Amino acid sequence: MKEHVKGIILVILLGLFALAGALITGTQVAYAREISIVLTLIAVALGYRIYVHGIRSLMHGNVTAQLFATIAIFISVVAGFVLPSASATGTAEAVGYLTASAIVAFIILAGMTLEDYIIHRTRGALEKLINLSPTTARIRRDGAEAEVPIDEVKLGEVVLVKPGDKIPVDGTVISGHSTVNQATITGESIPVEKTVGDRTFAGTFNEQGALEVKVEKIAEDSTLSHLIQLVEEAQEKKAPIQNVADRFTTYFLPIMAVLASSVFAASYFTLGFNVALSRTVTVLLVACPCALAIAVPVAVAATIGNASMNGIIIKGGTHIEKLKDVKLVAFDKTGTLTVGEPKVVEVKTFGNYSDADTIKYAAIAEKFSEHPLSKAILAKATEMNLKIPDPTDFKTIPGHGVDASYGDEHILIGRKMMESELSEEATQLMNRVEGEGKTAIPVALDKHVIGIVVVADTVRKDSLEAIQRLKRLGVKTAMLTGDSVLTAKSIAEQIGIDEYHAELLPEEKVAIIVELKKLNVVAMVGDGVNDAPALANSDVSFAMGAAGSDVAMETADVVLLGDDLTKVEYAISLSRKAFGRMKGNIAYAFVWNIVALSLAAFGILNPVLAVILAEAGCISVVINSALLLLSKPNPLSNIKG
Amino acid sequence: MNIGRVTLNASKIECAGCKTCATNYEADNLQHALARLNGVLKVKVDKVTGKVTIEYDAQKISDSKFTERIEKLGYKVEIESRVEI
Repeated sequence: MKEHVKGIILVILLGLFALAGALITGTQVAYAREISIVLTLIAVALGYRIYVHGIRSLMHGNVTAQLFATIAIFISVVAGFVLPSASATGTAEAVGYLTASAIVAFIILAGMTLEDYIIHRTRGALEKLINLSPTTARIRRDGAEAEVPIDEVKLGEVVLVKPGDKIPVDGTVISGHSTVNQATITGESIPVEKTVGDRTFAGTFNEQGALEVKVEKIAEDSTLSHLIQLVEEAQEKKAPIQNVADRFTTYFLPIMAVLASSVFAASYFTLGFNVALSRTVTVLLVACPCALAIAVPVAVAATIGNASMNGIIIKGGTHIEKLKDVKLVAFDKTGTLTVGEPKVVEVKTFGNYSDADTIKYAAIAEKFSEHPLSKAILAKATEMNLKIPDPTDFKTIPGHGVDASYGDEHILIGRKMMESELSEEATQLMNRVEGEGKTAIPVALDKHVIGIVVVADTVRKDSLEAIQRLKRLGVKTAMLTGDSVLTAKSIAEQIGIDEYHAELLPEEKVAIIVELKKLNVVAMVGDGVNDAPALANSDVSFAMGAAGSDVAMETADVVLLGDDLTKVEYAISLSRKAFGRMKGNIAYAFVWNIVALSLAAFGILNPVLAVILAEAGCISVVINSALLLLSKPNPLSNIKG
Repeated sequence: MNIGRVTLNASKIECAGCKTCATNYEADNLQHALARLNGVLKVKVDKVTGKVTIEYDAQKISDSKFTERIEKLGYKVEIESRVEI
């Protein structure tokens, strides 16, 4: 910020001196002419940033617009002194030239300062993330609490987080209960519950409860640190479209130098030295490659900054260009479209037994099993506040079920354990449920079937909306899964996905992606770990729920830090908008330069008008790019393809 | 404290020649990214020549960290000189 203050002061001083110089000309004060010349020269000198840059880059072998401006201003100043002595019009013309050069220097310097400021603001999103990085942590050492610098916190130490505090480390909650706002990392503003065993992220906000967190990553390795580094790197990575602009700017300035010389030569022989000089200066001042050179990088940085504030990391300009072309999004099913953990979705009972009885006996038998289905049943028992005693004896028969006893009661779990005992009604129910892609677990007590527990993976709450959003955008959707056709079909129907491919091995997923790519630009969305090969083969890969997983953050092209799948649509929409703006800016800058140059070459512009035009062109392009930072996700109903 | 100073040459930092952006956008980013590293005391990025000068606490960080970070940001880099001060 110090730099900016300095810049602004220079601009103001330059303006004041130039104004004073112009005002004093023609007044009746003694030595008015001399005073105005001195004031204007001071003003011109205050634009030293321009000349230093121009001359240094020339010494380094680069022709820059600053060099042109330096030459133009220098010519004007010299003309201010030389011309009058040669002509009869006297001092008015001298002062006129000098004033013009002061105004030109003022406008360029003001433009430079403004542009610096806008570009600095484009860094705002990154700056925000950096400012979130905690600087200290309250830890317990040798039984006493102490506030220590974050760099001194070691792995395994216990950090105390009070209500309202920023959580300083990535770690696991070892005591306490609270809600935590993780919007800074995941972009999701609804606070999440944290209790013993849950993970925390540095830079998130603890709300009403106190927590004790065991440190699992030192500050340098935290998710937030990685995020900052990734955004930093992404903003530097050029978009391919930049090459077009770069190629253009490479030739632009040498061509300008030739053009300026030709204009001088042509007008010198037809209109005389004075006009030739003024037109040459105008051409040098109107040339404005910055719109081309800066429009794309600023747009890329603004887009990536915007995305990062929404919990999305787009890893560079290339991916913005790919994203805008995406015609099909393929999703992994388990853990991406679905929660990935089976849950009890239905309990059917027979005879006088209640839901609670069925769950209770099933839970007793499954109490010590590690199977995902057992976990679902035990979770349901906990949810129903049932006390589950240990089984007296139990035996898991892989692929079949469980045979257990509790006191003198005999429990059987699983279809294959009791095929003959199943009633017509139970069999029908189980066939229906399995037809929906769910798992039906019958529970028998002393060889009587008392109930059926239905377990299924559940669809994430955002999945339906995510698919709808993509459809509105005109993007097709597909689902890839290793699960059965029945399960796949049922999930696909629930969320309205266009096509599904089931019973796939990991390498078959890759084959499907390759096949889809023949017709479309394909994005693949997965958790970034299990489906890495398919992700790697897609045109753009998305890893979702990647906060905390370094592998996922590292491998994917686009990282969704939270679980919100609707962000896929936003990433595509934002990229389309950004690319449109980059292209628009380049075209606009191109036309602007041609028009302004023609006007300058034919003497329709004077130097002051020329520099105003050039600066206005530059700044409007930069502002147009920087405004991408303020773009927001559309409500579902406003999405257009 | 052991203070080191390293001068590096980063490719492609040179200004594209804009009139107004004397603050080269990329140089600006590089400057910030380096200044944020733990142990760095002072960073100067010359926008015209692409020269990067870093003063750092040699006990906290080594200059390989700088080249690594600059390369990650997409530039080719070589160490020009290294002194202890």
